Amino acid sequence: MRNYEIMFIVNPNAVEDEIDKINAQLEAVITSGGGQIQKIEKMGKRRLAYEVDRLREGYYVLFATAANGDIVKECERRLRVMDAVIKYITVRVDDDVRRLEKIRKYRQKRAARRGSGAAASASGQSIEEAMQ
Amino acid sequence: MRSPREKRPAGQKQYYRRKKVCKFCVERIDSINYKDVKLLSQFVPERAKIMPRRISGVCSPHQRLLSDAIKKARNIALLPFATE
Repeated sequence: MRNYEIMFIVNPNAVEDEIDKINAQLEAVITSGGGQIQKIEKMGKRRLAYEVDRLREGYYVLFATAANGDIVKECERRLRVMDAVIKYITVRVDDDVRRLEKIRKYRQKRAARRGSGAAASASGQSIEEAMQ
Repeated sequence: MRSPREKRPAGQKQYYRRKKVCKFCVERIDSINYKDVKLLSQFVPERAKIMPRRISGVCSPHQRLLSDAIKKARNIALLPFATE
């Protein structure tokens, strides 16, 4: 199981019901495949950075899920087929989360070490940090 | 970045160039997320190209994460590929 974020853009002219229907469908795909849904976020309408299918606006929806490759594949297939969806992207996020965790731990360790060794002056420390 | 030289040949104009620092290191921004358009757009100038390191001063590990994030954001139309 890996953590993925699936973000897609729905045609802004679609009705709210349609978006809910798409969400429900994806939800069903994920849960029936044994995945978990961590978050469904409707990010709302926003301007697209460039034209897609002659549209300048889009309705963004974000899914955060723990799933495996097959589930993601199926989700992408469905999104491709749906007419209202104009664009989608899947991003793997667990690598990033792990990296952040590592940085946090490292900082904690450093802070602990610094707390015990009071030899270094405060100004010296801040320069050291800036150099990093 | 060139290191500030101690002695310069005579006649050469001397000026002090401020050492550039990596924004992400200084402000301790750990995650460079593709959804954070506000942050990313600071590194995409007018032409929508990714700002080079020599101008922004971002360190290479962070530049790598940054350019990945910008490319992802472009894919989902959060950032432009090019300005029309």
